Amino acid sequence: MKKELLSVLSLSFLFTSSMMLSQQKNDTVKEKSIEEVVLINVGYGKQKKSVVTGAISKVTSQDLENVPTGRIEQSIQGRTAGVSIAANSGAPGSASTVRVRGLTSFGNNNPLWVVDGVPIDQSGIGFINQSDIESIEVLKDAASAAIYGTRAAGGVIMVTTKSGKKGRWSLNYNGFLGFSSPERLVKVLNATEYAAIMNERSIGGGGNIIYNDLGSLGVGTDWQKQVFNNHAARSSHEFSASGGNENSSFYMSFGYQDQEGIVATETSRFNKKTFRFNSQHKIFDKIKIAQNFAYSYSKQNGIGNQNTEFGGVLPSAIMLDPLTPVVVTDPILANQSPYNQTYAIRDENGNPYGISSAVGQEIVNPVAYIKRTLGNFGWGNDFVGNVSAEAEILDGLTVKSNIGGKMSFWGSQGFNPKFYLNSNEQNDIRNSLWRNTGQALDWILTNTVNYAKKFGDHDVSVLLGQEVNIMGIGFEQGATHYNLPTNNWAEATFNMGVTDEDKRGWASEYIEHRLTSLFARLNYNYKERYILTGIIRRDGSSKFGPNKKYGYFPSFSAGWNVSNESFWPTNNIVNTLKIRGGYGSNGNVSSLDNFQYLALMASGFNYTFMSNTIGYTLSTLDNPDLHWEVAKQTNVGFEARLFKNLNVNFDIYSKKSSDLLMQVAIPGYVGVTNLPWANVADMKNEGIEVELNYRKNWEDFSLSLSGTFATLKNTVTNINGVEYLSINTAGFQSMGSITRTEVGHAYNAFYGFQHLGIFQNWDEVHSYVGSSGTMIQPDAQPGDFRWQDSNGDGKIDDEDKVFLGNPLPKYTFGFTVNLNYKNFDLMAFAQGAAGNKIFQGLRRLDVANANYQRNVLDRWTGEGTSNDYPRLSTSDPNMNFTRMSQFYLEDGDYLRLKILQLGYTLPDNAAKSINASKIRLYLTGENIYTLTKYTGYDPEIGGNVFGIDKGYYPQARTFMFGVNVQF
Amino acid sequence: MKKIKLILCAGMLFSIAQSCSDDFLEVEPKGQQVSSNYYKDEAEAYAGLVATYSSLRKNSGGFENMITMMNAASDDNYPGGGGPTDGLGIHSFGNFTIDANTIPGSFWSVHYQGIFRANILLLNLPKTVMDEAKKEKFAAEAKMLRALYYFNLVRMFKNVPLILEPLSPTTMYEVTQAAPEAVYAQIETDLTEAISKLPVVADEPGRMTQGAAKALLGKVYLYEGKNSQAAQILAEVNGTPGGTSQYGYKLLSNFADLWLTDNKFNTESILEVRHYDLGGSGWGNWGMDSDQGNSVNVMVGPRGYVKKSADAPDLPSGWSFNVFTQDFYDFIKNDPRFPATVLDLKTMQEQGKVEYIGGDQDTGYFLNKFTPRTSDISTGPGDAVLNYRQDTYVIRLADTYLMEAEALGATGSRAQALLDAVRARVGLASVPVSMQAIKDERRRELAGEGHRFFDLVRWGDAPSKLGSRGFVAGKNEILPIPYNELQNTKLVQNPGY
Repeated sequence: MKKELLSVLSLSFLFTSSMMLSQQKNDTVKEKSIEEVVLINVGYGKQKKSVVTGAISKVTSQDLENVPTGRIEQSIQGRTAGVSIAANSGAPGSASTVRVRGLTSFGNNNPLWVVDGVPIDQSGIGFINQSDIESIEVLKDAASAAIYGTRAAGGVIMVTTKSGKKGRWSLNYNGFLGFSSPERLVKVLNATEYAAIMNERSIGGGGNIIYNDLGSLGVGTDWQKQVFNNHAARSSHEFSASGGNENSSFYMSFGYQDQEGIVATETSRFNKKTFRFNSQHKIFDKIKIAQNFAYSYSKQNGIGNQNTEFGGVLPSAIMLDPLTPVVVTDPILANQSPYNQTYAIRDENGNPYGISSAVGQEIVNPVAYIKRTLGNFGWGNDFVGNVSAEAEILDGLTVKSNIGGKMSFWGSQGFNPKFYLNSNEQNDIRNSLWRNTGQALDWILTNTVNYAKKFGDHDVSVLLGQEVNIMGIGFEQGATHYNLPTNNWAEATFNMGVTDEDKRGWASEYIEHRLTSLFARLNYNYKERYILTGIIRRDGSSKFGPNKKYGYFPSFSAGWNVSNESFWPTNNIVNTLKIRGGYGSNGNVSSLDNFQYLALMASGFNYTFMSNTIGYTLSTLDNPDLHWEVAKQTNVGFEARLFKNLNVNFDIYSKKSSDLLMQVAIPGYVGVTNLPWANVADMKNEGIEVELNYRKNWEDFSLSLSGTFATLKNTVTNINGVEYLSINTAGFQSMGSITRTEVGHAYNAFYGFQHLGIFQNWDEVHSYVGSSGTMIQPDAQPGDFRWQDSNGDGKIDDEDKVFLGNPLPKYTFGFTVNLNYKNFDLMAFAQGAAGNKIFQGLRRLDVANANYQRNVLDRWTGEGTSNDYPRLSTSDPNMNFTRMSQFYLEDGDYLRLKILQLGYTLPDNAAKSINASKIRLYLTGENIYTLTKYTGYDPEIGGNVFGIDKGYYPQARTFMFGVNVQF
Repeated sequence: MKKIKLILCAGMLFSIAQSCSDDFLEVEPKGQQVSSNYYKDEAEAYAGLVATYSSLRKNSGGFENMITMMNAASDDNYPGGGGPTDGLGIHSFGNFTIDANTIPGSFWSVHYQGIFRANILLLNLPKTVMDEAKKEKFAAEAKMLRALYYFNLVRMFKNVPLILEPLSPTTMYEVTQAAPEAVYAQIETDLTEAISKLPVVADEPGRMTQGAAKALLGKVYLYEGKNSQAAQILAEVNGTPGGTSQYGYKLLSNFADLWLTDNKFNTESILEVRHYDLGGSGWGNWGMDSDQGNSVNVMVGPRGYVKKSADAPDLPSGWSFNVFTQDFYDFIKNDPRFPATVLDLKTMQEQGKVEYIGGDQDTGYFLNKFTPRTSDISTGPGDAVLNYRQDTYVIRLADTYLMEAEALGATGSRAQALLDAVRARVGLASVPVSMQAIKDERRRELAGEGHRFFDLVRWGDAPSKLGSRGFVAGKNEILPIPYNELQNTKLVQNPGY
C-alpha cells in the first residue's frame, strides 16, 4: 500500500496544464454554430466531442424540454440507440427496466446511474426532477465505461443537473393540466357470447347446456369500463430560478407532480414534490467550490397485485364473467347466500357488490376488490447531494475532492379489513393495520488529480483518482396491530386500543457494501487527428471472496479524425469524419449477494427428541474465489457530419460476458445440501447502433430530425458444461417452465411445443403416423392441435419441445421531429421495438369458467373453420390449452407515437406586459397511439418478467394543456 | 490560499490511506455465523449435533426411504405403488434393472450429509467451551451416527469414499473410493470409541445409548463375518434370553404392541428413529431435513379404501407400496405374527367387508406394521399424509437375539435359548436351532422392516431366492453408484453397472 501512495504522490507532481481542466458543471455550449464545441461528460471529467473515442450517447435538456415531466428512465427512451427501456407498469410513478446493450448477466442487469458523481441504485433513481437535468450521457462501450470498473458491465448512465449561468437572473415557470385515459381495452366477450361459449365448452366435454335462455342475457357487465377511468387527472407545476455573477452562480427549483391512474383511480395515484438547490463559487481565484442538493418526497397509492395470476384488478376485470352484476340491488337476492356473509363488501347505498357463481379462486369483482384495498399507500423521502472542491495547484495540475451521498427514508402502510369477496378470497378472522418503515444511507468520496498540458501539437492529459463508496447503511422495521375495533380503513388508526397479544413487530438490518477504488486515465491526441485513450481501474469490494478481493478493469481506445488530416479535401458532402474503436473490460458486482462466497451456518436441519428441535450446520461450501462477473467489449464505429447538417453516429459491438454466476453441481459425497455459487457461465451480445441528426434553419422555419436504431442478438455461450439451465426459468401455472436457457440460444428464450395447425377431420388424425406406422396422437380428435414430433420418435413428450421465440426485442428504434415556424413549434416523438414475442397469459388455465377474449369466436367448430384456435371443451386430454405452444405467443412489435406537442409562443409584447421574456402555451399528447398487433393492453412489458403478460397495467394516453413563462 | 490547497491535499491523502487497508472491505455478517466462529458453546454444539441426527430419518422419511426401498427388492414384498413408473428407483430395484440413472441419488447423498455434519462437529468440538463429560458424550453420539451412516453406505454401495473431515473445493474432486475393509475398520473404531462414552440411558428419547452402540457394533461384526466378536458383544446387549438385559431391554409380551403408534421407546426398542406429527410438513419440504413426518405410513396403505362392515379396520387411503408376495403370505399365514404383519384386504374384500383399488402388482396383502389407522392422522398444520408420527426401529431386541444366535453358529444352548425366546414371545414352541431355523425366524419376525434384502445377500441366498425377480449374481448384491457422483470425480462405477 505504501508503494501505491508513493506512486500517486509522484505522478501528481509531474506535468502542467490545458484541456481536461473544466470540472465545472456549467458551460456545455449548445451547437448553434457550425463548429461543434460540445463537451461530453466521460466520467470524472469532460472531453470535446471531437476527441471522444468511446461510444457515448448524450441527451440534453433541450431534448427533454418538451417531454411531460415523468420518470427519468422514460425521458431517455428511444433517444439513445442501444438503451432499451420498458416500463414496469403503467401505474403512475412506476419505474422502468433499463438495459444497455442487452443482457449482461443471469442476475442483476441494471446499469450504473451516477448523478453529479454520486452513484444511485436503479431502484432509487425516481427522486430526480426531470427539468433539473442538464444532460444525460450513457457510456455504452467498455472502453469508456471502464472508468467505473466493477459496476460498469451493464452500462453507465451519468446525469448532470443544472447549474446557474453567469450574467442575468432567470426565472422559469412550467405547468400543465391534463387528463388520462386508456388507449385500448382488451376485447372480451359480453354476457350472451359468454353463455354461448360456456355452453359449447360443456357440450364439447360431454356435459349439458348450462345457460338455457341466451336471448335474455343481453350484454351484461363490462368490467373493464367499471375499473378504467377515462378522465384521470394529471398536473404538474415547476418553478425554477437561476442566476450568477463572475464568481458565483446558482440554480434552484421547486416541482410538484400529481397523477391519477387510469385503472382503479381510487387506489392508483402518485404525487411528488421536489426541491433542488445547486450553486458554484469561485474563491481565491483558483479554487472552485460546487454543491448540489435535492430533496424529493413522493407518495404512491398502491393498487394491490400487479401482473400476477394471483388476483388483482385487471386480471379480474378480464376474467370475471359478464353475467355477474356490479351491484346486487334486488333485496331478495341481496339477503341470500353469498351476500348474507357478514363481511361482504357493500357500496355506499348498502347494496352488496356482485359475487360470481361461475368464476372463483382469486378472480373477484374488481370494483369490490378496489374497495378492499383502499387506504394502502407508500411514501419516500430522498435527500441527495454532493459538495466538491477543486483547486489548481500548479499550472495545469488540478486537484479535486467530491463528497456526496443519498439518504432515504421510506415507508408503507395499509389496512386489511375483514371481507368476503368469494369463497376463496375472504378473511373473517381478524383485520390488521400495518406500517413498515426503513432508511438507508449511501455515501461516496472521490479524490482526483488532473494534469493536462499541450506540448506543441501533442495534447496530453492524465487523470488519477481514488474513491471510497459505502452503500446500504440502514435498517427496516414494521409493526402490525390486529383486531381493531373498526373494519373501515378511514377510521383505523394505531391509537386504537388493542391487547398486547394483538401487537406484532419485526426489525432487520442491512449489510453494507463497501467499495474502494483506484483509477487512472490517459488521453493523448496529436493535432486532434490521432487520438488515444487508456483507462485502468482497480476495485475492491466487500462482496468479493477472499482470494479475489481486487479486480482490474483496463481499456484502450483509439480514434482517427480523418477530416482533420491535411490530405482531407474540404467538401460539402463529408464535413467531418472520425473513425474510432476500443476494447475494454468491465465488471458486474451487483449480481453478488453479501457473503455469497461464505458458507454460513444455516438452520432447518431438525430432529425430534421431546419435540421438534432445530439443528444447525453448513448448508453449502465456501467459494473463496467468488468474484465479479466480467464483460469484455469490442466496439468500432464512426461519427460523421454530412452535408453540413446531418450528423451520423454508427457503432458495431460485440460484448462477451464471462464469469457469470450460477450454482454448480458438486458430488453428493461432499455432504452439503445446497449447491455453491461459482463464476462459470458465459453469454454474448452483439449488435449495431445508428444515431442520426439533421438540423436546418431557414428564415422563419427550422427543422430538426433525429432517429435512433439498434439491433441486438443475445446468445448464451456456456453454462459450465451443462447443456441447459433448469433453474431461474419463467413459468406459467401448470405449464411449468415456459422458457429455457440453453447454449446457443438467447437467455430464457420461450421453449415449448410447436403445433402444426389443427386436425380438421378424423382422416387427418389417423394419418398422422410415425415412422413405425402407429398414430402419433392416438387420443386426439378433430379440433385438436397437431403437435410436432420434433425428434421423430413417434410420440409427443417433453423431448419434442423446441425454441419458440425470444422475449428480448431484436430491434429498438426512436424518431423525433421538431418543427418551428415563426411562433409555432411542433414536436413529435415515436419509439418502438420489434422482433420479440410476448406470452399473452391473460386467461388463467385453472379457472375453468373465466371469461374469454374475443379471439375465441374464431375457434374451431367444424372442418375448415379454424387452423389456429382449437375446439372448446371442459376436458382437454390433448392439452391444447395447457401446453406451452405458439398459441400463447404473440409478436411484440410496436411503434408508439409517444409525444406530440404543439406550442405557440405569445408575441413579445404580451410577455413584456407582465415583465416576462417569453410566454408559451402548448398542447401535448402522450402515448397517443400504438401501432401493434398485440392483443393485450400494452406491448411494452418491463419488470424482468421475460415478456410474460398476466395483466399488465397499461400506460396511459394523456392530453395536456400547459403554460411556460420565462422571466 | 496555499493553506487551503494543502488542507485539500492532506484530506485526500488521509482518505486514501484510510481506505487502502484490506480490513476496510471486511463487513460483519450480522446475525449469521461461519463455521469457524460457530460451535462456541454447548447450545451451538447441540444444534450441530441435532443436524447430525437429522439424516437418521432416511430410514423412514421422504419418498425415498430405506424401509420401502429395501423391502421392494426382497422376496417378501413387491415395489407396488400406483404403476410401474411410480418411483423409478424403487421399481427398478424391485426387478433389478436399476442403473446409475434410476438409483435415487439421495440414498447416497443423505448419508454423506449426515457424515459431513458429524465430521464438522467433531472437528470443532475441541474448541467448544462446555462441560467436558458432556462434550465427550456429544462426540460419541456423532461418531456413532457417522458409523451408522457408513454402515448403510457400505452395505448398499460397497465401494464408497471414506471421508472423515469436511472437504474443500480444491480437494473434493480428488476423493477416491476406499476398500470396504477400510470403511468397516473405521466403523468399528468409531463405535468402539463411542461405546465407552455413551450413557446407558439417553438424556432425551431418541438419542444414542451405549446399548444401541453395542448392538450396532454386533451387527457390523456379523456382516463382516467376525462371528465370535459379534456374539460376544451382542451377548452384552441381550443378557439372559427372555429376561431383562443390563440395559433394560426386554421383549414385549405382545408382538402387536410393537406397532402401536404411541408405544415409543418401549423395552424392546434399541435404536429408534423419531417422527413427529406437528412439524407442519408440506409438499414443499417433503423429504428434506425439516420434514419430521413418517412417509412409510402413507406409502403402504391401500388405495381407494372403503370400510363396509363394522369389524373392518378404520384406514385412511394410501399409495399401496410394498404389498406382500403370495410366497410370503403362504409362508406366514399360520404364524401368530400374521395379523400384526399382514393386512389381508384380499380376503376381506372377498367377504364384502371392504373395498379398495388395487395398485401396481396388487396382491391384497398390505404391510400392516406400518399401515396407519384413522386415529393416527395428524391434526396439526401441513398436509396430513406427510405428518404421520409412527417411529421406526433400526434395531430391536428380537433382531439382536437372532443375530447373536446366528453369530454363535446356530449351535449351542445359548443359541437355542435365544431362538426359543423369540418364538416363545408369540406362543410358538421350541424348534431345534439351525441356520435354516434362524433364517426362517428372521423372515417371520422382521418382515417388512427393511432387513430381508441385506440378510439374503449376507447369507449368499440372494441368487436363488431373488433370481426369479431378475437378480444377477456378482452384480446386484450392491447398488449402482448414482450418475452424478461419477461426473468429473475419481469414482468408478460398481462392476456390472
